[in-house]
Formats: sequence, structure tokens, C-alpha cells
Amino acid sequence: MSGESPGARASRPHRRAAPRRERARGPRSQGGAPIWWLMAAPAVVLCLAFVWLPMAATFGLSVVDVNVLRSAAVWRGLAHYGDTLANPDFHLALKNTAIYLAVLLPLQIIVPLLLAYALMHLAGRVVSLYRGALFLPAVLSFPIAAVVWLWLFNPVVGVLNAVLTALGGMPQRWLNDPDMAIYAVCAVSFWKCFGLNLPIFAAALANVPPELRQAAALDGAGPWRRAWHVELPLISPTLFFAGVTTLLLVLDEIVGAVDVLTEGGPFKTSTNLLYFLYERAFRHFQFGEAAAVATLIMALVAVATWLQFRMFERRVHYA
Amino acid sequence: MRLFRRTALAMPAILIAGSARSADARIDLVHLFSGADHPAQKVIAAFNDRKLGVSVVSRQEGTTYEAITTKAMAGIAAGRPPAIMTTGWKLADFARKTLGAQDFNDIYGADRTTALMANFRPGLKEICTVGGSLIGLPWAMSTPVLYVNMTLWKQAGLDPAQVPITIEALYPLAKQLQERTGKQGLIFEVNEWLPQAFIQNAGGDVITRDGQPAMDSAAAVHAIERFVEPRRMGIWNVLSIGEMVTAFQSGAIGVMASSSARQSVIRTQAQFELALFQMPGLEGRPRRMNSGGNFLAVYATNREQREAALTFFQHVASAEGFRPWLATGYMNTTVHNLPAPGNEAAHAQLAGGLTSETIWPGPRGLEALQAHIEWISRIVNGAVSVPEGLRGSRQAVERLISNA
Repeated sequence: MSGESPGARASRPHRRAAPRRERARGPRSQGGAPIWWLMAAPAVVLCLAFVWLPMAATFGLSVVDVNVLRSAAVWRGLAHYGDTLANPDFHLALKNTAIYLAVLLPLQIIVPLLLAYALMHLAGRVVSLYRGALFLPAVLSFPIAAVVWLWLFNPVVGVLNAVLTALGGMPQRWLNDPDMAIYAVCAVSFWKCFGLNLPIFAAALANVPPELRQAAALDGAGPWRRAWHVELPLISPTLFFAGVTTLLLVLDEIVGAVDVLTEGGPFKTSTNLLYFLYERAFRHFQFGEAAAVATLIMALVAVATWLQFRMFERRVHYA
Repeated sequence: MRLFRRTALAMPAILIAGSARSADARIDLVHLFSGADHPAQKVIAAFNDRKLGVSVVSRQEGTTYEAITTKAMAGIAAGRPPAIMTTGWKLADFARKTLGAQDFNDIYGADRTTALMANFRPGLKEICTVGGSLIGLPWAMSTPVLYVNMTLWKQAGLDPAQVPITIEALYPLAKQLQERTGKQGLIFEVNEWLPQAFIQNAGGDVITRDGQPAMDSAAAVHAIERFVEPRRMGIWNVLSIGEMVTAFQSGAIGVMASSSARQSVIRTQAQFELALFQMPGLEGRPRRMNSGGNFLAVYATNREQREAALTFFQHVASAEGFRPWLATGYMNTTVHNLPAPGNEAAHAQLAGGLTSETIWPGPRGLEALQAHIEWISRIVNGAVSVPEGLRGSRQAVERLISNA
């Protein structure tokens, strides 16, 4: 700040005052308030109907027991929360969710980023071919992708074990081994989802002004230093966005793979929080407990996203 | 405005046409059988073609009992239950107490119920009776049988006429098959159903008649020790049921114990000589095999719909109505003499008498079932010993049932 010119200092109050002036020129002062509210209304109504009301209803369901025949609800207070937090299966689902996040979150960011770098340095038609091929798994639905993998993973007639034994290895029970199942699900989920971040990173890298790269190169910076000190800071908003959305993706989308590949087994070693919720609601028909699990998951996701913002947003460089 | 006027003018005509078509009572049959050419569709189409004043609408609302039950629950809560739903045996207690499956004696009276059930084999009425209420028609009934790849069996030099009738005699032969052909000797499905067959054949029960968990009795421990023996012998590579069926169909496994209802699918895919045999019992113990599958239950709350359901049941229970159903691989549970080629083993087992599938009591019964399956899985995977695993299962099931 010491090098700041008096002129720059003088201009600061003007910059701060600008929003105030914009607020002063807002819809109310123009007499257009009803129009603005009307324009916002569809989004507000949709949000209310499909986000806030279901969330409120879920919380309402979590404090009662419902009998579908009598349509009567019995007040349970916070008992469902107590039962859930004391349930060892919930602890296992929480631990597994942490494993899924620890394995998949870095992989889903780093691998597409490296691939985007590699694609940036390729030229010709081959780039679109590679992009298409790498993005292809992302357009498949999880159940379809998982069915394909079920064939590959089959311990008796699957391709993976055939290759493994041909190379002199021992055949594996990929989805039935309690120590291996969760990593097999991770592999399928990674294969299915890494392509989603690839075009985002490729687009962000393409938007880095070439003159900055050239200037860095003229200053003697090699590819590694250019990437670390020029390109990564410039694409940091995209990385941050990808981090937040990938976290939600890993928590949410993996349920399809778990359901088709392992159904959470063997003995819950590959389940996660959302699959635990699905089982409570739609296999055991314990809707009150399922609603409590859903509320706890909402709280956990909110905390995780807040932490991401706290830890990483300050390192993001908005141009 | 013009459109509104036209619609208003056309409305009486639409209403008149609609009322003419709705002379038939329409009932929904919610089920899990997918495919336009599934025998369930043929049974329904044949019934509708008879024009008995009732029209059945086929509604496949999922591929598992839980999925269709979840959707039905929404209808039940809204006061619009399906008239009829295929209900898994394991869901019987839940269906009666939570979903409101109707007692046939209450809605049809004793005479009409007796006349309807007279179409079915003696003994099946007890299987369909839950807590003193007859809640279902035994439409889709299966039993565990032995699927043998006879091509591999013969290739191993084993006598095709000498497929063993006890588990103790089967295992050494499956081992020989594996050693001589290089293919996996044997496979069992890992769930609660096949272990139930073992436990009952050892003289035990998973849950006693009065609803007490008994899966860790001495008889049950003996049975499950026999069940996991091929794993210890190295002739059983544990797979999920989907993987098991795929591997067996491809000819990579010699012997598979599974539901007789799977045969229609397996026969269409298998490129080898396939034969089905009765599920072997345990040496020195009386045979006591179990059944499984689903029954047709009535959930309709109004009289017209219930009567319409009875008309459909009378068709299903007739020889004409049941014949197309046998293509599924489910057993002929009726007294009618109907050919079911290839399904002789299951029918021999039915003739010998079958028990019901374990019914998991209470509102947390399905959770108890899941806990039991997971303990069986732990045992099979060698994570716990047989007595430890069965004790763990009993404690978990007891806790869930007593909390209900």
C-alpha cells in the first residue's frame, strides 16, 4: 500500500460509494418494484415448492412416526436423531463417505486437470477425438455404466480377472471382497465422472491470455513455473467451482453405482450416507428415521461446503 | 375462447363415450414382472379377452418387492391403494399390518374363499395365512433346487444318473468336478433363503412359529457349518447373485443351488446340457424344504374393486388361467393337471411338502431380515465363525423385533 498514489487513494471512496448510488437508483426508487417482484416470482415459487417446502417437510417427518394406513403421525421429538447417531451402520456409512471423498475428490480434480493440460498442447483433429472419447463415460447413466462394469468385474467370467491371471496374478472378488468393494466402486465412479470436469478445465485454460504465457516464457519461466504461477492462479475460480460441485457429485451420484454394483455390501462395507438413507426409507420403510438421516446429511453438506469456502475461496484470484 | 367453446360443446359426447367404456370395473394389478411378453401380461390379456365385466390394468411399478411397495404406499396413504399387488412372502407381515392387505375371509366370506382356495393344493392355505388371516393367493411359488451343468458333470466322469440327495454326498463330487474340469465346482446364493433351507433341513428354524429368532440353535449351527463347508474346501468362490447367474449361464460353474424360478432365464442363455434336481437334504435328518416367491394380495378398500379382484382370482386359479403362468418357472400350485416340462424337481419338492419363506415380524421386520443377511454374509466371507455370526444375527434380530 505504501506505493499507492494519492490519486488512487482518493479514488477509493468513489469506488465504495458506487454501490450505494446503484442501490439508490434501485427498482424501488424507479417505482418499478412490482415488476421486479413479478419477474423473480417464478424462480421464488419454484424454489419454495421444490426446495424449501420439501426441506421443511423432511424436517417435519423426522420428528414423527407415520402410519400410512391411518395417516396419523405420532410425535417422537428428536428420538430419530438419537437413534441414527447411535446406529453403528450410520457410523460405517459416515466413514465410507469420508473414504469416497478422500479418494474421489482429488482424483476427479487432478486427473481431468492434467488431461486438460495435455489436450491443450495437442493439435489437429485428434484433440476433438480425445475430448469426445474422454467425455463419453460422463453421458452414460450410472446404472448402465455399472452394468457394463458388472461384466468386467465378474470374478469367474470377467475380463479383469482374465487379464490378471494371464499376467500371473491371483483372481480377485472385486465386488464381494469386503476390503476391496469400496475401491471397486470408486474406480467405476471415477471412470464415469472424471470427464465432467475435463471440458470445464479445458475451457478455463483456453481463456488464459496467451500474452501472459509469452511474457512468463520471455522472463525464463519453464512450463512447470508457468503452470504453477500463471495458469493455475488464473483458473483458480474454475478450480474452486469444480471443487464445490465435485464434492456434491461424489456425495450424490455415487448412489447409483453402489446400488447396482454392491447394494452397499458385502455387509455394508461399500455403503455411504445417501445409500444408508435410501435403505432406511425404501427398503426398511422407516420414513421418520430416513428423514432424520436426510436432515443430518443436509447439515453435513452445508458444513462441508462452508469449510470449502472458508479454506479455499481466499486463495481464488478473481480477475 | 373458440377453443374453450369447442371443448365445452364436445364435453357431453366425451362423457357419454367414457361412461360406456367404464361399464367394466377397472382394477390395477401392481407387479414387478418386466417385459411385454412376460407370462404375467399373457395371463392379464387372456383374462381381459374373456370380457367378464372386469378389466385388469397391468402396472409394473418396479423390479423389486420393495420398489413396488414404496409406490403402493403413496397410493395407500392418499386413499387410492392398488386393487391387487404381487407381495413378496418376506413382506407378508408388513403387508398385513402396515399396508392393510385384506383377509379373504373378511372380504369374500368363508364359502367363496373356500371355493377359491379349493383350486390350490392342500397345505398352501396355511402358507398364505399370516397371523390367522388368509391374505394371499399362492400364485408365484418357487423353491430352492440344484442346477447341474451336465456337460461338465459328464466331462468330469461323474455318473449322470447319480446326482446325490444329500449335501454330504454332493460336496466330494463337486470337488471332483472342479479338479477334473478346471471349472468352479459349486456355488450357493448368499442371502437368507438358501440358508433357511439348510437350517430347516437340520431340524431348526430361523424364526419360530411364535415369532422368536432361533437362528443360533445347535441345529442351525450344524446346518450353517455344512453350508459354508464348500468355501473351506475351496470349491465355492462367493459371488453376488447376479454374478453367480451370469457365471453359471456361461458354463463356468458345475453346480448351482438357487430358486427354481430362475430356470426360464437360465434355460434361454445356457449353451450346455442343463438338468435340475431336488435340493439335497442333510444326512440323517428329515427333509423340510422351504418355498418363496410372492402372492397376490388385495389392498382395495371399496367393495366393487374387491369383487372385481375376486373375478380375476377365479380366472388365475383356473387351469386356463394358470397354464400360461407356468412359463415363468414358478410351480404349479393348483390342483389342475398342467404340464410343466423341465420343472419336475421343483414339483417333486412341492409334492413332498414345503414350508413358507421366513416371515419377518413387526414394523422393523425388513430391517431384521437385512441384518440377518449381513451376518450370513460375514460368516460366508470368513469374517466371523458360524456360532459367532448366528449369535450376532439372533441378537440383532431380537433387538429389532423387540424395539417394534
